[in-house]
Amino acid sequence: MCGIVGYLGRSEAVPVLFDLLRRLEYRGYDSAGIAILNGSILTSKAKGRVDDLVSITPEIVGCIGIGHTRWATHGKPSPENAHPHCNCKDTIAVVHNGIIENYIELKDKLIDSGHKFKSETDSEVLPHLIEECYAGNLESSVRRALSRVRGSYAIAVVSTMEPDRIVIARKDSPLVVGLGSDGHFVASDVAAILKHTKDVIFMDDGEIGVITNDGVKVTTLDGGFVEKKIETIDWDPESAEKSGYEHFMLKEIFEQPAVIRETFSGRISSDGIDLDAALPNVRRIVIIACGTSYHAGLFGKYVIERFARIPVDVEIASEFRYIDPIIDCGDLVIAITQSGETADTLAAIREAGSRGSQKLGVVNVLGSSITRECQYIHTRAGPEIGVAATKSFTSQLAVLLLIAIRLGSERRMITTAEMDDLASGLRQISGNIQRVLNDAPRTRECAKLFAGADQFMFMGRGANYSCALEGALKLKEISYIPAEGFAAGELKHGPLALIYDGIPVVAIATKDGVYEKMLGNIKEVKARGATVIGIANESDTEIERYVDYVLRVPDADTWIAPILSSVVLQLFAYYVAYYRGREIDKPRNLAKSVTVE
Amino acid sequence: MRCRPLTLTRSKVMLRIANKPMIEYVVRALSESDITDILMVVGYAKERIMNYFGNGNDFDVHIEYVEQKQQLGTAHAIKQAKDSVGDEFLVLNGDNLVSADTIADITKRHTKGTSILTTSRMDTSGYALVIESDGVVREIVEGLTLKNVRNTKTGIYVSNRTIFDAIEEVLQSDASKSEITGSIERMIENGGAVKKIVEGQILKNVHNINTGIYIFDRTIFDAIEETLQADVSDVSEFGITDSIQRMIDAGYEVHAHRTDHTWTDVIHSWDLLGVNAMILEGVPDSVHGPDSKVYDRVVLGRDSVIGENSHIKGPAIIGRNCDIGPNVVIAPSTSIGDNVTIEPFTYIKNSVIFDDVHIGSHSTIKNTIIGENNVIDSHFVVESRRDLTVELDRKLYHADELGTVIGDAGTIGCDVSVTAGALIGMECRIEAGTVVRRPIPSHALVV
Repeated sequence: MCGIVGYLGRSEAVPVLFDLLRRLEYRGYDSAGIAILNGSILTSKAKGRVDDLVSITPEIVGCIGIGHTRWATHGKPSPENAHPHCNCKDTIAVVHNGIIENYIELKDKLIDSGHKFKSETDSEVLPHLIEECYAGNLESSVRRALSRVRGSYAIAVVSTMEPDRIVIARKDSPLVVGLGSDGHFVASDVAAILKHTKDVIFMDDGEIGVITNDGVKVTTLDGGFVEKKIETIDWDPESAEKSGYEHFMLKEIFEQPAVIRETFSGRISSDGIDLDAALPNVRRIVIIACGTSYHAGLFGKYVIERFARIPVDVEIASEFRYIDPIIDCGDLVIAITQSGETADTLAAIREAGSRGSQKLGVVNVLGSSITRECQYIHTRAGPEIGVAATKSFTSQLAVLLLIAIRLGSERRMITTAEMDDLASGLRQISGNIQRVLNDAPRTRECAKLFAGADQFMFMGRGANYSCALEGALKLKEISYIPAEGFAAGELKHGPLALIYDGIPVVAIATKDGVYEKMLGNIKEVKARGATVIGIANESDTEIERYVDYVLRVPDADTWIAPILSSVVLQLFAYYVAYYRGREIDKPRNLAKSVTVE
Repeated sequence: MRCRPLTLTRSKVMLRIANKPMIEYVVRALSESDITDILMVVGYAKERIMNYFGNGNDFDVHIEYVEQKQQLGTAHAIKQAKDSVGDEFLVLNGDNLVSADTIADITKRHTKGTSILTTSRMDTSGYALVIESDGVVREIVEGLTLKNVRNTKTGIYVSNRTIFDAIEEVLQSDASKSEITGSIERMIENGGAVKKIVEGQILKNVHNINTGIYIFDRTIFDAIEETLQADVSDVSEFGITDSIQRMIDAGYEVHAHRTDHTWTDVIHSWDLLGVNAMILEGVPDSVHGPDSKVYDRVVLGRDSVIGENSHIKGPAIIGRNCDIGPNVVIAPSTSIGDNVTIEPFTYIKNSVIFDDVHIGSHSTIKNTIIGENNVIDSHFVVESRRDLTVELDRKLYHADELGTVIGDAGTIGCDVSVTAGALIGMECRIEAGTVVRRPIPSHALVV
């Protein structure tokens, strides 16, 4: 999990590389480094953020260079383990995003043949291996080196032996080239380079590119010719700035009414749901995802089963891919991933595809790996920078609702008249989210009261179960307070033992078929001393008798309420973390998109 | 306050005119004037503003934000900008519509120090008067309205300047108190009467109001400190005019420049209707709807669908992702936001509908503003009248023509009628068959 960048052109490379790296910091931020080619290779590396690197970097002149921002997998964060890595003679520098699986074996061989390693990283084998393979042509040596490598990578390589070029290659990690008038750019994410140029080439798996002043020449790793299309990106990279908000997370929470309106735009009418991808008629659906997207998947199970009466299994991607899954051509596998680069999810959907199932992605980043591998539905949440997923989650819920209703109407489970009501229900979601946001000051007050708590429990039933899990995840990932979500009916089977006097329990108790049961569960924890924060409907006058604090959401149907409750819980988590003084946008040990296993 | 109920959930600058917030017109005028570094002092409901403008990229300007944490008046607001502005800066309000010409009237004529842009209003109640001679400001007089003259003497005694001396003379010469107030009212309403008493130069000043557009240099921040430190036990707001007055009293020259170009303000929520109609007049003839159906002077947003046999007469604007009709009539000067559904056989004229609104079939809506996220069932009828009195927060105001104004997120059952001028607060629930004859406070349930 890292970000790589490169620049070659007429400007000074250092400021350009710093700018690109800052925009990639969401991919990792425990160490960073650059290497500039100017006669020799000059490197600068630092532990910490890109700004830490900027502050220690001396003036380095040169118009070609590569850079890296790291999220440690092999070897702790330190200047030594920071990229770029060089060979023994400092003639080749490499930045790498991904994992070299056979690096120990490669490293042993290289050490045997006299190479000296300076870091604990897997990546450092690459410059030595390329040197080993070098016979007068950098591109060929990279090609030969990579043929011996097993694992995933996006790399950029510069060498003093051929100082006019950057060689890049990709397998299972994202890589984009930007073609500008004053120079060419390399980055792990298209958003990083859009300030400099809108004309980009997306590298595909198994491709190698050579960037010179004349442009980029792409071939396959085994030498075949590839014709690449230059794509013009028309969205705005600056939209990824905080614009007045203290944190990206809060900005992204407040964007949700507009995001949901965008997610639904042009897709809903009284005649039915119009989606970007065709939904095959299948016997079973398997949803695979990780983290927050997995919670969206649990909501997906609820709504798809309710509206379309198709059985749905929800699987954690990292489990699914290794359990020899039972999947065949009668199944549809839906992979939910914000970034479209989540390594486990990608591997899982490939696994499913190889067993003959139909595939569908629910994804927020266009041009990401998953959009190249299967048909997909775009969630249209816009760039999400805060590591804690907010708007991408609610837009995933919205898309899953659309999928459920679409499948239901195709299978004649929903009548045309019902369709009309459903359409107007969907249209009201964005306005109701706005109402939740109007009430943010009240949520803030409540969060302030509980910011000192050392443990939280979240509970919900039915459609609200996924909400409870997500509410707990949000809280723990940004506030570092231990928090667990439970299906309220499971309390008696264990979690009740965790209840002690004063523990805050967040109970999602919107009106639905299991509301009465939920009140029963609230009584259970109250009786054992818990302080209960209830999420309840505006019209619910009863709830105050059962709970200590109430956070309100507008009255809504059972299948819409979880979206509104999620927004309340996002705000709650944000403000708890805020009052605890946490670094909300970049929580410790976490990165935005997890492109390694 | 006076724009309630619409300002219960958003700041006044975000009220929509032709589907754009008021402040966007200000930003665009600045952009056209090549003023591209903008600092917005935000406070109440700031998120909506920041979400809309972001860093200003979409508007070809660079916007930064600074928060005024307590709403303590314009002087306090400008103080928040102290660390962000340069030696000289322009100040405007986000809730007054201006054009690039208006801005040029102060920027082109300004030479140094402090400048105030003034404009002329026949009815100056509610505005600050700028008393000037030969372009040099002598005094800014706040709070001198007809009402103040009638009720208190302080409005008059605040000043020893010529005009007020003259008024005082009248006061003392007349015997009966009621006659006094009557004569002063007539005098101020009627420029001629004033002219008999005071010098001609002052007469002009009676209509010379402060637009709230200024150019300052950094000396203003010292004056603001004085304002903020003054003994103000009875004042909850610190006005910038107080700071300017302190500068004048200390001998600084403050220049007044007058504009006759656009300077429009919205005082009450229903004033939006007139301004909306005025802006929509700017929709050119060449604008057409989507290919299949052509409506002249109708701006139709992406993904919006207009059903069969609907009739839309421009000028009108319809936002994105709307579902309208079939058989809906939209008459001129109507703005409809994003994600709005309008069911068949509904008629809407000269109205402003915010985002996420649902309007049921067979409804008639004229001269009305509907806040966002209202769900209105069928047969909703709003009466509209001319020259009526509107009650708002227990005070009475005049409106030229109005149906009603409905705050955000209400639920209105079927077959509800509203009499003209009965305003409805936010998040009200009005049950089926109700006739609304009186103003409805927010969060009310009407059965």
